[in-house]
Amino acid sequence: MKFLLAISSSQYSGPTLKAGAMIARAFKAELNIVYVGPKPQAIHEGSLNLTQQNLSKWNIYHPGLAVLSWAFKELQKLCKDNAELRQTQFNPEHLKYTHNRYRIILPATQGCQVQLTLREGELIKELRAELQLEQYALTIIGGSQGKRRRAHDLIQYLPSSIFVARGMDLQKQYKLLLLVDDSPSTKYSVQFGATIAANEQWEVRTLTVSKNTRFGPGYRGAAEKARTYLEKRNIALEQFFLTGDPVTTFVNFAGTDHLIIMGASQANPLKKLLFGSKPIKTLERSQGPILIVRRADQ
Amino acid sequence: MRISTDVLFYVQQKRWLLIALALGAILYHFVPAPPGLSAAGYHILIIILMTLIMILKEPIPLPAIALQIIFFQVLIGGSTPNEVGNYFMNDAVFFIMGSLMLAVAIVSQGLDKRLALGIIKLTGNKTWRIVAGFTTISALLASFVGPHMVAAMMLPVALTLLRFTAKEGQSTKRLAAALLFSIAYGAAVGSVGTPSGGGRNVIMMNYWEEFGYGGLSYIQWMKMVYPMVLIKIPLTIWIIMKTFPPEIQELDTAVRHLKLEVARTGKISIRQILAVVLFAGVLFSWITLSETYGLGSIALMGVFLYMTLGLVSWKELSRGVNWGVVLLFGATISLGVQMKNTGGAAWVADLSVQSLEHIMPNLAVLRSVVAVGLSGIMSNLLSSSATVAVIGPVVLNLGGDPITLGLTSVIAAAFSYFTVVAAPACTIIYASGLVKASDFLRAGWRMASMSILALMLVAFLWWPVVH
Repeated sequence: MKFLLAISSSQYSGPTLKAGAMIARAFKAELNIVYVGPKPQAIHEGSLNLTQQNLSKWNIYHPGLAVLSWAFKELQKLCKDNAELRQTQFNPEHLKYTHNRYRIILPATQGCQVQLTLREGELIKELRAELQLEQYALTIIGGSQGKRRRAHDLIQYLPSSIFVARGMDLQKQYKLLLLVDDSPSTKYSVQFGATIAANEQWEVRTLTVSKNTRFGPGYRGAAEKARTYLEKRNIALEQFFLTGDPVTTFVNFAGTDHLIIMGASQANPLKKLLFGSKPIKTLERSQGPILIVRRADQ
Repeated sequence: MRISTDVLFYVQQKRWLLIALALGAILYHFVPAPPGLSAAGYHILIIILMTLIMILKEPIPLPAIALQIIFFQVLIGGSTPNEVGNYFMNDAVFFIMGSLMLAVAIVSQGLDKRLALGIIKLTGNKTWRIVAGFTTISALLASFVGPHMVAAMMLPVALTLLRFTAKEGQSTKRLAAALLFSIAYGAAVGSVGTPSGGGRNVIMMNYWEEFGYGGLSYIQWMKMVYPMVLIKIPLTIWIIMKTFPPEIQELDTAVRHLKLEVARTGKISIRQILAVVLFAGVLFSWITLSETYGLGSIALMGVFLYMTLGLVSWKELSRGVNWGVVLLFGATISLGVQMKNTGGAAWVADLSVQSLEHIMPNLAVLRSVVAVGLSGIMSNLLSSSATVAVIGPVVLNLGGDPITLGLTSVIAAAFSYFTVVAAPACTIIYASGLVKASDFLRAGWRMASMSILALMLVAFLWWPVVH
């Protein structure tokens, strides 16, 4: 299993990196840390390339490499049990340019389970290009509040599950909030959540929301299946059934001390563009971290 | 599901291309040419509008933008393929191509370390003197070789100083901004000093010649513009120090480290001496022979000699030069000439003057204001050379003296202080990650105000004496 973790700076990406490392550890996944920096205007690209070539003669490297170097050192600190990772050296000169991005060649990658990539351009476009090159199960990204366009683009255009580590503070004791309904993707989000909960010993809550007071057999059946699955894995849980607008209820219930996990919408992409979807609206409005699970074939 | 997501993503990524094409199609098919504008002129203006949208938003690669200019000129602009071809390649394009190649040839010699040592010997360790030295050297060098080469050579020096200055917990943000802006703004101030200081200068010279306005020799240009450069250098230093007062007043350790770094490279090599001598030859030829042979041909001769003497390989040149820029300038210049030939430029010029003359009845002042306004604003959105390529024919059709108006436009196009995209040097310092986009605005308004005053000073007091 491979996860993609997007970072932008050492100043703001610390919590995202920690959250990403935690989830990757839970799934024993390989982590590709990708720095996506701004792309210069094409008209000045030649001048910038010339400058960068000259800078490398002075042993001054692309600012993105400093961010990747910082991320790599942080990971070494976070993954103390990974002896190979701790011994691996980051060398900014060991760069390989392939498929419109730079890869840092780490001297010992076998078992190290970390890759470092440098890209320049618009974030969603670059992440999508990276996801299309290799099969990633999950993309991890820091979140900024209230950007409808960004929420839509992340969910619509990135062909993987998405974890937005918005305001994540790993000193805090989070609870997992699994949003359960009768959609086919609920099953996968419950499985995903169970792995994290089992690894991190987090409390689990499931929440099923109906627009009216009636909870049909589909909703009840889904909640029952989730309970059975989690109990089979010895994960204790609380179940909640609430009535109201689903997105508002999810967001209010979750607050900032839950990690929301929900399935991706299966609706037509055009419909999602025009009218949004529950995951898009929840991502837009939630104050805390959120993980949207997409089936592999979706 | 996957296919429709791919299609939606393509549409989202290319939306500005689709908007430009749709706008062009609607204007071409459904909106008649305004009164007083020929159909051919109208169609050229439609192509310009589409091109401006594409350059600003970059939905397609730069060379593709250039290619669409060429085929749309033939398709709807009423030009024959040979006409477009003739205007596409001229001395201005030769100069842009040659100067980009010369930059690669010179930067690859490692002369920047010698330059660093020279500057430090002159300035000593005091921060304000280093800022003053960087600004002055960047301006003087850029006036002859162009800002992109200066920024490429000076940035490593500034970053090396910063690297050895930074101490744990101590902020050096303002020091970084002061050093980096001294390069970018110094280069911008200097880049109008001589015709070879930037592509925009040569594009304007080409328009003067093409449209039958005569022109200026290298020395005449310097005589008219260089005094302004010299006035602006100390004012630029003052503005930078005022806007970004450095946290550290002396850079002892950093300067020592820089000297050590340079000392490691050993004595100056024969190759480096040869590279300097060759460039001095090119510069001398520009000053003395460009009226006869053109700036572009001389630049290409220089590149030929660098290659023949083995100072630079074709591989290095082809990798280091952005050929898309060469294509784009060729295409925009051909578009500019067609705008003039079809009456499109005169129509835009008349419209600008007519819509502003009730506010500003003095026609001479109004023309200057239009030239400065159009060039100054557009250069901060596009880039200064692209601005002159598109705006040049309009400015030259405003009436009045085309030489002084052209110079005014070129100088205003170098007021590229507000945005990251305005000039290559601005993009280069921004890419270091040490200055923010908002820093350009903080210092930019001061630089622009000072530059407008300096331009007025030379235009009203100095140009009547020398021109």
